[in-house]
Amino acid sequence: MATRCLFENSNEIGVFSVLTNSYCVVAIGGSENFYSVFEAELAEHVPVVHASIAGCRVVGRLAVGNKNGLLLPNSTTDQELLHLRNSLPDSVKVQRTEERLSALGNCVAANDYVALTHTDLDRETEELVADVLGVEVLRHSIAGEVLVGSFCNFTNQGGLVHPMTTLEDLDELSSLLQVPLVAGTVNRGSEVIGAGMVANDWSAFCGLDTTSTELSLIESVFKLRDARPSALVNQMRGSLIDQLS
Amino acid sequence: MGAAATQLLGAMAQSHYNFKRIQIVTGSTALIDVVLSKTQRKTPTEIHRHYAITRIRDFYTRKVKFAQQSFHDKLTRIVDDFPHFDSLHPFYADLFNVLYDRDHYKLALGQLAHARSLIDGIARDYVRMLKYGDSLYRCKQLKKAALGRMCTLIKRHNSSLAYLEQVRQHMARLPSIDPTARTLLIAGFPNVGKSSFLNIVSRADVEVQPYAFTTKSLFIGHTDHAYLRWQVIDTPGILDHALDERNTIEMQSITALAHLRAAVLFFVDPSEACGYTLKQQHALFRNVAPLFAAKPLIVVANKTDLGWEQELTPDSEALLADFTSPVATVPAPGEDVLPAEPLAQRAADALLKTSARDATGIAAVKRTACELLLAQRVDAKVKSRKAQAVLNRLHLAQPVGGDQTNPERPPTIPASVRAKRAAEAAAAEASHVPDDDAPFLRRLVAKPGARVDSRADDDEDEAMDGASRRRLERDLEAEGGGPGVYSMDYRKLYELKRPAWAYDVIPEIVNGKNVADFVDADIEAKLVALEAEEDARTAVGEVEYASEAVLDGYRALTDQERATVAAIRDKKLLARATSARERQRGRMSVSRSAGARKGLDVEDFRSHLQSLGMENEDVEDLTEKVRGRSRGRSKGPRGHGSSDGGSAVAASGSKRNRSTSVVAATGADAGGRSNSRSVSVGPRASKRIRVGSTSGIRDLSHAKMAEKAARAKTEKRIRREARKGEGDRLIYNENPKHMIVGKRGVGKNDRR
Repeated sequence: MATRCLFENSNEIGVFSVLTNSYCVVAIGGSENFYSVFEAELAEHVPVVHASIAGCRVVGRLAVGNKNGLLLPNSTTDQELLHLRNSLPDSVKVQRTEERLSALGNCVAANDYVALTHTDLDRETEELVADVLGVEVLRHSIAGEVLVGSFCNFTNQGGLVHPMTTLEDLDELSSLLQVPLVAGTVNRGSEVIGAGMVANDWSAFCGLDTTSTELSLIESVFKLRDARPSALVNQMRGSLIDQLS
Repeated sequence: MGAAATQLLGAMAQSHYNFKRIQIVTGSTALIDVVLSKTQRKTPTEIHRHYAITRIRDFYTRKVKFAQQSFHDKLTRIVDDFPHFDSLHPFYADLFNVLYDRDHYKLALGQLAHARSLIDGIARDYVRMLKYGDSLYRCKQLKKAALGRMCTLIKRHNSSLAYLEQVRQHMARLPSIDPTARTLLIAGFPNVGKSSFLNIVSRADVEVQPYAFTTKSLFIGHTDHAYLRWQVIDTPGILDHALDERNTIEMQSITALAHLRAAVLFFVDPSEACGYTLKQQHALFRNVAPLFAAKPLIVVANKTDLGWEQELTPDSEALLADFTSPVATVPAPGEDVLPAEPLAQRAADALLKTSARDATGIAAVKRTACELLLAQRVDAKVKSRKAQAVLNRLHLAQPVGGDQTNPERPPTIPASVRAKRAAEAAAAEASHVPDDDAPFLRRLVAKPGARVDSRADDDEDEAMDGASRRRLERDLEAEGGGPGVYSMDYRKLYELKRPAWAYDVIPEIVNGKNVADFVDADIEAKLVALEAEEDARTAVGEVEYASEAVLDGYRALTDQERATVAAIRDKKLLARATSARERQRGRMSVSRSAGARKGLDVEDFRSHLQSLGMENEDVEDLTEKVRGRSRGRSKGPRGHGSSDGGSAVAASGSKRNRSTSVVAATGADAGGRSNSRSVSVGPRASKRIRVGSTSGIRDLSHAKMAEKAARAKTEKRIRREARKGEGDRLIYNENPKHMIVGKRGVGKNDRR
């Protein structure tokens, strides 16, 4: 089930939240409206936690996580680390890295089994990603963009990547990640997928501007509700052609 | 980027047909008033006949040119604002032709464009004539004539302006139809239920009345299907007669049918409650069939709620069937026209039965129409290879194993989520409504004035909602004073071994130091005590001062001491003032000799020293010392003077005066003696009189006179301009304000 929401009039909700299969981290905003959208959907299944990182609200761009762990940049303060440690379940490892590319959310995209990283990421950080998140790490770019965390989003069920990704790249990425992939947009044509939406294996959230075509594409490729990725080729083909060209 | 570009293009296409932005077209009188008043306001207004004639000509030329430019701008705006027939989509071009008459429209705009060039010509002529104007009066008359002719010209186009204003108002009210968007077009005889269908299928609220031609113009509504937005256009009813007999209202429908690439819904009323027989309706269908070429076509048999399905005669049944048959049936005997052989004809793609009143069959009509049109559009796009550009967006990349998820990498979905999903699926199964017309029925019910009361249903929904819904942080916030007031307790969600630990106080370490170490628990109390002490001190401060008490180790002054301090201060002030006065006076008013004569009096010096409280012996000593020094110094120049070329001045023993030294120098040069210059000419002399300047001087008295005259000249200037001396060239105010600000007329700009 994909939900549309706004963070203080911004459509880029992936910037202000981190969603995984075992927890959800949400930025501290002016009101509780944004938090409650996540709370209503997820709170009975996994913890939904307020947090800031280095005093900033852009938690989704600074931190990266999956069901096994959460990686934080070195600018995270001790208090923030303590708060996250206390709030998250014990099965989740919380680790601070000394990575030079401190916007980890932009540089790393991960599901529970595999992670794509920025091509210039440190060796040590790569090892940390592998250990803390328990994943196989691949250095790769998407449609010529090295900020893989910004331009794609994938779960264990499927993924959405930058709209300009070529057919060959799509097939290659799909076999690397072992999930079905589709090139698409969110938020009425925005190509920054990672910043425009968050998803896990059973739910997704995207900006309020997301059109119904984009939303149904997301639902089918992430296998939310009963949708299957093959719906893209079967039912949605006509709508997509008519809208895109 | 592809999508962004597409949307941008879409937005541009829409904005291209936005006629609401055309500005108001004023009538001729208003236009003239505006331009003349603007000319008066924005050009100089003061001119006198004694001014230079070039200035007078410029003054009036400016007025003529300004008026011309204003008229030009106004007319250009009108001509540019209105859409040009040739660049319009054929649908709009034809619609405007029907509504506003193409010839009239083009003529009106053409006349204004012509008027604009005429006005330019008038201005050109009169500016040329103004160049020969030889008096203020003539120039003024020329200007008056120029403006008058422009105004007369505009007055003549009053009818064009009035017509364009009416057209503008009508255009602004046209529905914003995008001719390239996905469109469903509703057509048929009057009163067959076209507008009712639009009302049900979209959120439009079109007037529906039980008489013909309720709808007199095009109406637009929007609906969703297959994640896309569709515009539904309701047209006025059309009657079955020749094209040239059709009136304006019908012609709008014909225009829409002819030019919009849409799915056509042709409405018929087999119950004949609309006042036209099914035969007539069929004839109309055949009549306008050419307009349906290459468009998806659906015949909608409306008003099933009147029960016509049971009462259908065999003839009517055959007619209804003929709508979808690709070959014309042989007309019944008695018809005038009898074709020799059956003709191939445009057949409807589908015949569907609906009732707009009961909202039955609506969904099927909408679905069929949308799907037919979508298939057609997609076909066209694939053929034109537009779809090639977005091929990667249509591709589902799958890992080698296909759609099957990798068994080693299962998704992580919590059991609670699975359970909830199963429960929801079961609930949906139980309350499943097979009727796909349900949303339309709901909309029909929700329309104002509907007979069925829908409120009970809503209440029930809300009650259920409230009972099962979890209390969210949002609700707590609303109860706790709203955003900015309420602050959430983040620790309540901590997952610790013992819940009580969540509220433990934890030291906060910043830069390796514990923040608590720098916090004094009773800082408040200490501050209050300090403030109280300070208040108490200020209260008793003045009393202590008067009673010469000791305050913080300092003793207050006695009255005598205070008087002494005051005396010292006064004296300092006096000395400073005297010194300032002396310095001021010294420069200009006191001559060198007077200054020297005044000197320092020995008696004054002595009394001064004594007043400072010096002992008499010390006073004498000091006086002697000072006198001795002054004498010694005064000897210096005298000794030097005596060695100066052995002149008479040196022998006099007094201070050399200026005029004699001049003579000495002059004499030395004039006499052509072979003394070297360093010996013969003193530095002062060489500075004052240069070699060249002495050549015309006859004798001493003449030289004196010349010097006096020269000095008088410079000093006069210095005094007049209140200068400090010759070297003072300061300009106090480089940009005097009164010369720079304010209204400027012709020729007042240069101030120096």
